[in-house]
Amino acid sequence: MSRAHGTLVVLLAVALAACASVLGFKRAEDRSRPFEHRAHVLKGIACTQCHEKIRTSTRESALDLPNTARCVSCHEKPHDTHECSTCHGESSAREEAELVHAQLRFDHGSHQRATGGDCARCHQGVANDATARLLPKMATCFGCHKHRDEWDVRKCDGCHVNVSAEEVTPDSHVVHDGDFIREHGVRAASNRDLCASCHDDRSCAKCHGVTVPALPWKLAVGDAPRTTGVHLSGFRSRHPLEARAQPGLCNTCHAEQFCVECHTQLGVSATAQNARSPHPAGWISATGGAHATEARTDPMSCAGCHGGGGEQLCVGCHKVGGPGGSPHGLGFTSSKDKVREMPCRLCHGASR
Amino acid sequence: MLAALCVAVSPARADPPNEARATALLDTGSRSGSVVVEGSAANGPMSGEALVWTGATQTTPLTANALTFAIAMHDARGLADVRLGRFVFTSGAIRPVQIDGASVLVRAPSGTKVEAVAGAPVVLSGGVQDFDWLAGGRVSQTIASRVIVGLSYVQRRSGGDLADEEVGTDLSATPARWLDLAGRASYDLTAPGISEALASAAVRAGDFRVELFAIDRSPSRLLPQTSLFSIFGDFPSQSVGGNVWWKAAPRLDVWLSGAGQSVGGVYGGNGSLRARLKLDDRGDGAVGVELRRQDVSTARWTGVRVTATRPFARTLRASTELELVVPDDPQNKGSAWPWALVSVGWRPHKTWELACAVESASTPEHTFEFNALARLSLFWEKK
Repeated sequence: MSRAHGTLVVLLAVALAACASVLGFKRAEDRSRPFEHRAHVLKGIACTQCHEKIRTSTRESALDLPNTARCVSCHEKPHDTHECSTCHGESSAREEAELVHAQLRFDHGSHQRATGGDCARCHQGVANDATARLLPKMATCFGCHKHRDEWDVRKCDGCHVNVSAEEVTPDSHVVHDGDFIREHGVRAASNRDLCASCHDDRSCAKCHGVTVPALPWKLAVGDAPRTTGVHLSGFRSRHPLEARAQPGLCNTCHAEQFCVECHTQLGVSATAQNARSPHPAGWISATGGAHATEARTDPMSCAGCHGGGGEQLCVGCHKVGGPGGSPHGLGFTSSKDKVREMPCRLCHGASR
Repeated sequence: MLAALCVAVSPARADPPNEARATALLDTGSRSGSVVVEGSAANGPMSGEALVWTGATQTTPLTANALTFAIAMHDARGLADVRLGRFVFTSGAIRPVQIDGASVLVRAPSGTKVEAVAGAPVVLSGGVQDFDWLAGGRVSQTIASRVIVGLSYVQRRSGGDLADEEVGTDLSATPARWLDLAGRASYDLTAPGISEALASAAVRAGDFRVELFAIDRSPSRLLPQTSLFSIFGDFPSQSVGGNVWWKAAPRLDVWLSGAGQSVGGVYGGNGSLRARLKLDDRGDGAVGVELRRQDVSTARWTGVRVTATRPFARTLRASTELELVVPDDPQNKGSAWPWALVSVGWRPHKTWELACAVESASTPEHTFEFNALARLSLFWEKK
């Protein structure tokens, strides 16, 4: 191997090591480790030998996490002077235990008695793998506690102090990081009670309200940038393209005339004084022009500026007997009374 | 009014906490200022929540509106809820509507739920038009804790005329721990035909999630049927695609999505690739990049977005966002639309936060824009 090749290999190795560190891969000796529960279990050490107050623990009792003094009662020659928990046991596991202790109406004492002291019946990860998460899944609770009725009526407060404060998300919650705008509606349609476990009505109203005070990112300025959503970054420049790409999507949150206020200020609304036309050449021609196709594929864009009083601009040509002809597509039907009801009467009304 | 609401339902015990937040925002770009106040409180069987805002621009007078202002009463056994006030009514398959009214939800332990609602839809002018009302409801059944099916109906009148009459059905199923299925469809009874139908199937396995979806939308049926622009008939837009989430490394998430589209009979598609790299295990700091391509009908553009955020000390956070959009057909509105934002958030105490930002862009309307934003937030919580 030439010297140049050797240098290249060394540089590549350094770069890979740097990348591995940035990506979150760590060498085992560099990090605190999950506590070695399995090793203790295999040596036949009872859980209560370390967690000695767990048998009598109540809801009000403090967390029974062993301290260094407890460890050295057996490990008489610790290999350094640091607190054992510095390396043995992850801080995230302790934080999780504290959160659970604060948020669940649960006591270990009564469960110890009910299970005959068999901790692994709930903490199944203890005997399997040192990296397994120790907090039991809710399905484990349901193995003994038949809460079907409470589950069906979403009555969670028998066990949970405040579900939303737990900040524990269900596995399916990953949709929030994916294409949230598209996916949340179809999943929330049947599962509103599940969403309502954490999100109140304000969460919906911030987008589905008829008025909103500002683009959402502006009210979140200074927070970490959002990774998903429809109104991100330079949305104001993109919004005509975004609307045309997904006709009807704007309607799912915004009312028919949502656009008119801004467009009137910009002088591109049918209701603005001395309005300038935003439409390209060929928009209206003797044979129809581009407006016919655009209106049929994205009527919300038309309604945004021409709704209400602006409709008269369309009716002038498209009324019955007018030069614009029928705007209805093939097979169009309606249950409305076309002489009396809106919007039919605009063109079909008796006075016409 | 918010204070009165909170006092009226002030708590007798610690949980859940009552909380309120007030946010003031100044924006030199739109020369506007706004204040948003929101809060919620609960006391035994009663709870209340509110979200109100007021604001003004240089050219428009002071405006105020309530997005949510509602009180709810809950049966202690969870069998019934009653809501009164202004809220967003979501009726399964039929699109959400903001109303002033009342709703009653009854849950039977058998998994049957019945919800009925009536009220006046909130309209943009801030008032209620003559004879404006909405009534509807939903019936759903949970089957073996894994499947939920629902049926909905909504009728809405505007100025006495029929604005919407729709029925809908929705489904959610988790046949296995790794599989989520969901779908909903609404049918317009006024101009008979499907208004909107969506379906999604997602598979979760370790560090991957794969989702396939399909959408069918009839835009003219999504407008109120009192609008002149609802009379075109069925010119649907359709989309079929999928997206993949991959946890490529402990701190690196990657999303890849793509879809084929049909808009008024014109075929096209869109796709995006997104990645986020957390700068620490908790993800307090992160950098992200997103590439997008949209190519359907007259909406054809390519964009790239880069974000970065990092906390400094415990109280200070700095963030930046950069975006560049290149339209295929700029129509003399600039060949590229760059946008940039740099922001700093400072939260020295849990009760208040100050954030400032500068935003610069070249938009279709202006060759160069420079705006400043300032936000002050106050937080209150009583456990």
